[in-house]
Amino acid sequence: MKNSIKYVCLSLAVAMSVACNDDAEVHPVVELEAVTVENLAAPNDVIDRTTGTVTEERPFQYFSFESNGLVGSVEADWDVAFKGTTILVNSGISGPGEAKGAVVQGIFDEMEQIPASINLQSDGENGLAIPTGSGNGWYNYNPATNIVSPIPGRVLVFQTNRGNMVKVEILSYYKNNPPLSSVDPMASPSAHYTFRYVLQPDGSNTF
Amino acid sequence: MIRFNLNKGSVIITGLLMFFTCELYGNENHIVHVLDSKGKPIIHALVIWGENQAIGVDGSGYFHLSEAWDENTKIEIHAMGYDSQTVIVRDLIKKSVVVLQEKIGQLGEVVVAATRTDRSVENLPMPVTVISQEKIRETGGMRLSDVLREQTGLQVVANHGAGLQMQGLSSDYILILLDGEPLIGRTAGTFDLDRLAVSNIERIEILRGPSSAIYGSEAMAGIINIITKNSTEKRSATIESRFRSFQTFDLSTEVGFNENDWQALAYYNRFSTAGYDLNPEVIGRTQTPYTAHTGQLKMGKKFSDHWDARIFTRTYTEDAENTLGIMQDGLIQTGRMEGNRRDFNLNPTLQFRPNDQWLLTLRGMSSVFQTRSRTEFMEDGSLLDLQEFRQFYHRTEFQSDYQFNPNNLFTLGAGHLIETVEATRYNDLNRFDAAYLFIQHQWEPQEKWNMVSGIRADLHSQYGGRLSPKVSALYTFSDAFSWQASVGAGFKAPDFRQLLLNFNNASAGYYVFGANLVQEGISRLQEQGLVNQVLLDPSGFGTLEAEHSWALNTGFRWNPSKDFLVQANLFRNQISNLIETAPVARLTSGQNAFSYFNVARVVTQGAEVDVTHRLGAAFQVSLGYMFLDTRDLDVLDRIDQGTIFKRDESNRTRRVTRSDYGGLFNRSRHSGNIKLNYSEVNTGISLALRGIYRGTFGFGDVNGNLILDDPSEYAPGILSWNLTLSKTFQNGILLETGGLNLTNQMNIHDPLNPGRTFFAGMRLPFHQMFP
Repeated sequence: MKNSIKYVCLSLAVAMSVACNDDAEVHPVVELEAVTVENLAAPNDVIDRTTGTVTEERPFQYFSFESNGLVGSVEADWDVAFKGTTILVNSGISGPGEAKGAVVQGIFDEMEQIPASINLQSDGENGLAIPTGSGNGWYNYNPATNIVSPIPGRVLVFQTNRGNMVKVEILSYYKNNPPLSSVDPMASPSAHYTFRYVLQPDGSNTF
Repeated sequence: MIRFNLNKGSVIITGLLMFFTCELYGNENHIVHVLDSKGKPIIHALVIWGENQAIGVDGSGYFHLSEAWDENTKIEIHAMGYDSQTVIVRDLIKKSVVVLQEKIGQLGEVVVAATRTDRSVENLPMPVTVISQEKIRETGGMRLSDVLREQTGLQVVANHGAGLQMQGLSSDYILILLDGEPLIGRTAGTFDLDRLAVSNIERIEILRGPSSAIYGSEAMAGIINIITKNSTEKRSATIESRFRSFQTFDLSTEVGFNENDWQALAYYNRFSTAGYDLNPEVIGRTQTPYTAHTGQLKMGKKFSDHWDARIFTRTYTEDAENTLGIMQDGLIQTGRMEGNRRDFNLNPTLQFRPNDQWLLTLRGMSSVFQTRSRTEFMEDGSLLDLQEFRQFYHRTEFQSDYQFNPNNLFTLGAGHLIETVEATRYNDLNRFDAAYLFIQHQWEPQEKWNMVSGIRADLHSQYGGRLSPKVSALYTFSDAFSWQASVGAGFKAPDFRQLLLNFNNASAGYYVFGANLVQEGISRLQEQGLVNQVLLDPSGFGTLEAEHSWALNTGFRWNPSKDFLVQANLFRNQISNLIETAPVARLTSGQNAFSYFNVARVVTQGAEVDVTHRLGAAFQVSLGYMFLDTRDLDVLDRIDQGTIFKRDESNRTRRVTRSDYGGLFNRSRHSGNIKLNYSEVNTGISLALRGIYRGTFGFGDVNGNLILDDPSEYAPGILSWNLTLSKTFQNGILLETGGLNLTNQMNIHDPLNPGRTFFAGMRLPFHQMFP
């Protein structure tokens, strides 16, 4: 199940600017730019419709924000993992690492700082850092149309395994990021995540 | 003028007959025939002259000229439901025929639904319209949905069947009555109007505004009362059939007799359709092919002037078969789906009139509704799903009407009901008990005023007690102008699904529990170690209250000439405690368990206007319009708090503003109709052209925030032109043809609209053809 990820906008465009003040001190300012990840395929387990039991278990797809790519296994240095609509963070019951996460209400582009009130969580017995289920975490599921849609205005924030802050907006659950109006749940392949993120490598909580 | 009367008509006649003068026989050669515009005799007409002197016409609509008159005497021909006419005797000697015209806009029609007593549309203090048999026929419709979708202010919306929408409220909140008795059997709240054939309907009464004050639960938006035909002929037999596009075939037969105070009418209807497919790439047809049979028998016997008994029974069966695509392991497999519906009603009624002041009625009503739906894989015949549902409803009701004096009529009613349900998704056999009491006072304090006030108390084994008052008043400024207003409460009891559902979607892994079962269901899941976190305070579990509303309806009737009528009604419904699902617990699987809660608050408001203009004897033009504004108050609160977001075309997220919000889904802000009628008596030719407009409406959420706030979430408005042409021959045979949606306006968001269809039909009344 090694699905290809197209890395786009891989460049962290670094712009140098010079602050002109009397001290003539030079501050390098790193302009953070959003990275978009397209079509991260994370198929769900195969479930028998009549009994609800899992007939074929499928692996989680482990992703590292730091390296912007999938890593092979749960043992590697990963931050979040995907399977179906479930998102794990690398800590607690999910992995050996130190990653944490939370869902924040707001606008991705407007979020310049991770609010102090946000309590970043590990995955625990009492729930995952990114809650599962329609309306709880990052998505709504419409039982009439069978469409999974990312909830607008939900930003996922993470602390990576290495301790850096990331803000993430999930754009689509369907292959090739179609507009929601053209998603056909019978035909559009699902569990293909498209999301964008900004990683702050300097360890601060501002973007 | 007496506006309400227990023994309608007869009292008016007896009142006038007190001054009856003996007929003299000098003019006996001159016989005058009183006819309606269709050439049928009006047998209840009265001939009035001088100071309240009157004679009635005979059973064939004839009267003799009286010796008391000279050739210059003015006489007035009067009949309920018709415009009166004044003629001079001299002219009658020449013509010998008086043709009375029906009152415009069905104003003269008698309505039962509004007060449970007979009242004419004209002086009821609440918005009521009547669709006559003729108007039903003009639509070319076969099922009730075909007829109702052409009426101002009503929409037929696809949601688990063809559901009605009235004043912006959905089918769940509209009570459907058949001869005054409620029809049961709803799927996800919708009463499917396609279950009802129309060829046996005498008239349909539409009452807008909450009527829980006499009908209790479900009568929140209003009432549709379907009155079936009575047997009026000594012997009658009719066959009627229609063919329509998509191999749709409708056949009705009717046999009746009326003799020696006995009457009986038997009716049978068979309907079949091959359905249609709006989306051929997807497996399965949009409209499922089905065959339905309806059988009805209505019998009555008048034992004496005091005692009357009637019995009505109806049976309905429907068998459907369709295919559907089932997604499994990423592959689409074909499934075969069989659906059956069965419906049975038995309504006996006994009436006793001890004297002119009292009328006592005892009614029984028993009804069974069952459905079965079976889905199997086409490939190997293995069963995917089997759902069964069986509901039984019994009601006994006693009503007494007391005419205290000509200006005061009191009604007192009491009843009890038992309801049981058994279904695949419910545990065991479930039973509800309820009892109720209602009082109503119809009062005419002055010539210009009339009022109806009432209150009903419901006591229910599930949701406790409920009081529903309603007050309505009408003020007549002049013969041409009157204003009415009514304020009333409506409620809808939680239904079986909301209380008793025990559903587990195995493939998706979520659970839905009715409010009565949620406590037990969650404890069971906890014992099994499946619950991760309980999201709501368990002490709040299981207390589901009735949804309830307050509503105001007010409007006027302006009737400046007998050929011009304007009717308008403004309404506002304020509904609280709407029941919705919400997650109660998060499961270890990551899915949720849901239950039902009283959460939402909704407002619907708007205006309905009808203008009718008659141009001569044969032409009529009418216009109808409804403006509708709906909103979910909780959504508005969340918008104001800035906690609802949306994505624009370029995927940028921003906050939703009030101006983005489009209200509730599936409601058209603007809708209306234009109707042109031509009906010529001599040739029997009639033509009805109707343009029915349903404005743009929100079909569903597209941008993921679950509310209507984006241009991509609206379906376009549609204007459907419908035409019916018919010719009635002297012997009663009727031939008709026509088309619906002639310009083929389609919309993928309306699965009930197949595009252009044509039909042809014929009616053979054997009792008229071979008298």
